[in-house]
Amino acid sequence: MLTARRRVMAVAAAVVSTTLLLASCGGDSGSESSDGKTLKLWHYEAPNSAMGVAWTEAIKEFEKTHPGVEVKFEEKGFEQIQKTAPMVLNSNDAPDLMEYNKGNATAGHLSRQGLLTDLSAEAANRGWDKKLSAGVRTTSQYDAKGVMGSGKWYGIPNYAEYTMVFYNKDLFKKYGLAEPKTFDELTAAMDRFVDEGITPLANAGAEYIAHQYLYQLALSKADRAWVDSYELYKGEPDFHDAAWTYGAETFADWVKKGYISEKSTGTKAEDAGVSFIQGKSPILFSGSWWYGRFVAESKVDWGTFLWPESNMTLGSGGNLWVVPKGAKNKDLAYDFIDITMSKKIQNLLGNNGGVPVAADPAAITDPRSKGLIANFNTLAERDGLAFYPDWPVAGFYDVLVSETQKLMTGSAKPDAYLDAVESAYEKGVQAP
Amino acid sequence: MTVTVERGGRGSRSGRGSRGGDAVEAHHRAKGPHRPRDSYALFLLPGALAFFVIIVVPFLMNTGVSFTEWQGVGTPKWTGLANYRELMDDSEFWASFRHSLFMVVAMAAVPTVVGLVLAAALFDFVGKHFGSRTVAVLRACFYLPQVLPIAVAGIVWSWILAPENGSLNELLKAVGLGGLQQDWLGDPDLALYTVMGVMVWVQIGFPLVVFMAGLQRVDPQLYEAAELDGAGWWRRFWHITLPQIRPEIHVVLLWCTIAALKVFGAVYVLTKGGPGGATNVPSYFSFTTFFEKTQVGYGAAISTVLTVIILVLALVGLKLQTRAEDAEEGLRV
Repeated sequence: MLTARRRVMAVAAAVVSTTLLLASCGGDSGSESSDGKTLKLWHYEAPNSAMGVAWTEAIKEFEKTHPGVEVKFEEKGFEQIQKTAPMVLNSNDAPDLMEYNKGNATAGHLSRQGLLTDLSAEAANRGWDKKLSAGVRTTSQYDAKGVMGSGKWYGIPNYAEYTMVFYNKDLFKKYGLAEPKTFDELTAAMDRFVDEGITPLANAGAEYIAHQYLYQLALSKADRAWVDSYELYKGEPDFHDAAWTYGAETFADWVKKGYISEKSTGTKAEDAGVSFIQGKSPILFSGSWWYGRFVAESKVDWGTFLWPESNMTLGSGGNLWVVPKGAKNKDLAYDFIDITMSKKIQNLLGNNGGVPVAADPAAITDPRSKGLIANFNTLAERDGLAFYPDWPVAGFYDVLVSETQKLMTGSAKPDAYLDAVESAYEKGVQAP
Repeated sequence: MTVTVERGGRGSRSGRGSRGGDAVEAHHRAKGPHRPRDSYALFLLPGALAFFVIIVVPFLMNTGVSFTEWQGVGTPKWTGLANYRELMDDSEFWASFRHSLFMVVAMAAVPTVVGLVLAAALFDFVGKHFGSRTVAVLRACFYLPQVLPIAVAGIVWSWILAPENGSLNELLKAVGLGGLQQDWLGDPDLALYTVMGVMVWVQIGFPLVVFMAGLQRVDPQLYEAAELDGAGWWRRFWHITLPQIRPEIHVVLLWCTIAALKVFGAVYVLTKGGPGGATNVPSYFSFTTFFEKTQVGYGAAISTVLTVIILVLALVGLKLQTRAEDAEEGLRV
């Protein structure tokens, strides 16, 4: 039997545990304040990457120039921010400054929803607009519909990125092959590797690598108007035009010819990168984000060249610094961006395998980095950055991965592939 | 033979359970106005509140969102049943549900059957010949995949199953079976079966442990009597083991079926629904619709349908289990 005292204890226990439960659900949203003494910063660059090294130095520099201000840095994952950004930015937990993916489906989507701060005035006042070339700037500005290329500034990139052909010089030398200067020389080299029982191209069907090969093939027959039509909706893209058809058919043909392994349907980008690092694949076509890692980890002699006989290649300004609408210390965030744009940080970025946007060319001393930046400059001069194929509509990445896998396995012919991509594109563009 | 022995066993269990419970209740009723059950109910309050806050409210909100067109931020636009109508015609959605049925085979049916046989073998054979310590070690080995985070297990399996230099293909080559090498996760005709195989490995420990616990409460006299009567292992398994641990089988089947319907982690790590959607399942489909396509209303409709199906299955399963137990009780009386 429960005595009165025990009954009171039971009630008290229930109340205490309920209170604890509610408290645990509540979070600490009230703990943050706009005190001008804290900069809450999120980014997802690996500490040993060029950007990671540069941002770490930028934090030190910021703390030096802002005595009494604490930088609360939280390292996030790319996927983590990608998947949860709209919810986080819509809450009280938004940081003051955050690195975010660029493009219509990402930064454009958030800007349209009013979750990002308009940086136009800061970009003009602090001269960031002057430092960024036209191709790099495209991903910074978004119109009222969230389409990149014009409108207000919602993000600032501090570096650029582009795709290139990484090739294993040792293997090329072993089989008497020179660095390909033309597309025919590239295919001749791949034929030679196939004859030797080596699959020439490192590939990853389960992730972006495969559809980027296809997009690059299409780009080799495309021009700026074609890219703008597809990426910026400046016109009606025709998914059965010469460029797209060439891309899909050539890609399928390359799988048949053995340039791309049929067994790479389920592999990931990491597998492709490691295969190149280990010297198993003589060629990898991918982005400058691999550069620093190859420098650090690859034991083989390797080099790079731009995709031959193509004016356009995949690339853009790097990921963006965005200031959430609900940020509590916006001025500190602007100051931090300013520091990352300084020559000191930009040079550091450039000497660590990144592609800086405002570095002093004379200060880049690493020979490989010089080559990397020279190639980027070539692309920038000819307006050759063609963005990425998954940018136009939300969820397009999964569609491209899935449909390209079908193309690789032969369960979809090039025509059916282009039909499926077109259908998803149109559905996505029509979405509110 | 078996019938006589079984009846004795069931009788003794009934005496401890139902009748004992009645006696306690009568005792409490005789104590007067104090009702301990009411006071204990207070202790259920935090749990009930948590259930309400963490399960019921989000489910109702999710259901509400499923009637809208929404990108996760901004104002949702009420569209009524439009998402559900679209779902009915969505071949990708139905394909994902077909894959779920394969997952039920891999995560519920096969592990239950294999778990039963393994549990009986460990209990009857290994335990008797090699001792309880060996049984404990083997049981722990079988249970290990349940303890491993699925992300870790998935990454390790993706190495094992890699088409080039994967351990499985290398092993096949080493033993002269190079012709059997496959692109295990990249071949659309094979990928679903490969994921199923991994899930059998993941799941098997759970039924095994539950069944072994169940076997420990079976009266050894039943087996001894059956053995004396000349029943072989298989007859003892069929006529004693299976009927005696029927409640455990019900629980395992129900639990594993629900787990199979909502499987996500393994698909995410191993294949991301590919190649070409060959291993897509409703929870992953919902996830990509939510977060990749930011079609939150449509994603909510998928997860609402999935929840309703799981709820119905759980309720039917529980009902069947209760009915079976009632029938059993009826036999005893």
